[in-house]
Amino acid sequence: MTRDEIHDGICRRGVITLNISGEGKEDASRVEEKRRDDSYQPFTGNLNAPSHREALRSAKLSALHARLQLPIKLPLQTLARCLVDPSVDPRPGYNNEPLSILGQELLGYYTAEWLMTKYPRLPMPILFAAQYAYVGSSALSAMRAEWGVEAVAAPGPEVDPGLLQLKRQIPGNAMAEGEQMRIKHMPQARRVGSGRRNEEHNYRRGMSSRIVYDDQFGDLQTTLPVSTSDDTSPYPSAPISRPDETTPFFSQDTSSEHRPPPSDWYLPAQPTYEDPTATTLEAASATFVRALAGALYLHAGTPAAKHFHTEHVLSRHLPLHTLFNFAHPTRDLSRLCAREGFEPPVARLISETGRLSRTPVFVVGVFSGNDKLGEGAGASLNEGRVRAAAAALRAWYLYSPPAEEIMRPSEVEGKAGEGKKWKSQIVDIGEVIT
Amino acid sequence: MRMPERIRPEPKQPVWRVNDDAEAMDEMYDRFMGRVGEAVKGEVKDTRGRGMLDEEVKWLALTHKSFDHGRRGFNDKLAFLGKRIVDVQTSLALLNMPSSPAALPASQDDVFQHAALEGLENVTAFSKNAILDKTRLAKVATAYGINRVVRWKPRKSDNLKSSGEDVVLAHTMYSIIGALAMQRGGEMAAKTARERILKPLGLR
Repeated sequence: MTRDEIHDGICRRGVITLNISGEGKEDASRVEEKRRDDSYQPFTGNLNAPSHREALRSAKLSALHARLQLPIKLPLQTLARCLVDPSVDPRPGYNNEPLSILGQELLGYYTAEWLMTKYPRLPMPILFAAQYAYVGSSALSAMRAEWGVEAVAAPGPEVDPGLLQLKRQIPGNAMAEGEQMRIKHMPQARRVGSGRRNEEHNYRRGMSSRIVYDDQFGDLQTTLPVSTSDDTSPYPSAPISRPDETTPFFSQDTSSEHRPPPSDWYLPAQPTYEDPTATTLEAASATFVRALAGALYLHAGTPAAKHFHTEHVLSRHLPLHTLFNFAHPTRDLSRLCAREGFEPPVARLISETGRLSRTPVFVVGVFSGNDKLGEGAGASLNEGRVRAAAAALRAWYLYSPPAEEIMRPSEVEGKAGEGKKWKSQIVDIGEVIT
Repeated sequence: MRMPERIRPEPKQPVWRVNDDAEAMDEMYDRFMGRVGEAVKGEVKDTRGRGMLDEEVKWLALTHKSFDHGRRGFNDKLAFLGKRIVDVQTSLALLNMPSSPAALPASQDDVFQHAALEGLENVTAFSKNAILDKTRLAKVATAYGINRVVRWKPRKSDNLKSSGEDVVLAHTMYSIIGALAMQRGGEMAAKTARERILKPLGLR
């Protein structure tokens, strides 16, 4: 039984009983299974989540696999592992954390390249916001709900493997008891490790530095581990123990030898498994979806991961024009025209009505020479002018090249992209800074 | 917009100058790319690093937002894309690295084993951040000579470290990868990331 499970992925011998009587009747189905195969002993051991052997017996899990049309190459056991959050069991091999990290990066890469090639002139803050809207935790959490994946009330080895398992906590947005601040703003809820000097929420963080320090959405990293506790010391060659020492890894002469760093310098020292930190449903949902993307990549390759991204992420529509918020659009437009060498923008009244009434409407256009850059309607001349400038700026930033010219970098990667000829994509110099 | 005459006193620090020599920039690109251009030998005039990107994009990839207050363009978006590529390649490289016994599951029976999941336990937030630490990236960048050609404006020209030189150098390396992805495709960018950034950092 074990060998079949391991090597055949979905085990054909284990019959999955469809639980017609509804949820909460796991005992009945397990009794039925036991009659079928008396040699099976449920392995509880020191598990916090159902064993991977249970995965083949779960109707919910198989139904999820079928509903999402996941490839056969993805075994049910890995799908079950994707549903277990690290807050349930932090030991390696039991949770979805590494799969989630890989999946998050893949989804982030595919989304970033799609956004950048489709909208080359998008400003950086909008790019961050759009990235979050497509593959951020809220979007992925909504996706999890749309897929019909339910979460357990509390994790344990007896729950159905087809449920999302997490140890819940009060979300950081909630107000702290007895305080006026939210929990996430409380001083002890410090995030450590990204290297920023001051990580409090209201300390100024520029847009550019977020690219190196923060995550793919420009937010402070929350997933980094806290400082090692007193009883674990890093390996002597771990980077954090000797921050100034360098390994000589580059020289002009590429044939010269260099001492390679020890093979596992990048792994933390012997880890201790204290009570794992609890997580919110939104975070755990996002981790699950990301882990699924990672698992698809590992088992079924890049085409499966890209297909997943196209079907589930890119199928969502985001009205990008609503993400813009201009403080001084007229000034920005003027600087933009100066930079690009257009004639200075001039606002002209196109049409108006009700000037002396309570509700006038002025339609104003912003022109560069004889070309209309943008048009806006407002209740006053000034409002019309400002709206027109904002519309012009949106039109500039939301420019999209013709569809036949757009190619995503990942299209020419790997085996699938071998024969394709790459078309150079537009590289924009950046938004106008005023 | 700039005032024609400066009214405020000049800061008490050495005058900061950046490279404006195209040849110095090209030499840096040659050093950085190495031989990755061999893969597109038929399509480019020059397989050295300088032939991989357009002239304007070469300058843009080295221009930080602090340079001239962002008036002449900056490399934020290129760095964003480049970091996404480097992140993916780091994870994939970690999958191939040998695992420490401490990181593996204790008893083999409990955990589902599959050939596709080999090396998965190496991918952790800790290892990712240890490898892509900005100080280490900055050291690799300095070895390539990127610090001599990057166009930026430090807060204190006599104390570059406290002005964030490490971040700017890491940012610039990411942006070169991003520029490669936009102009030459993902395969070239991924290959450059693996061979020219991750390999010096210790990942094969």
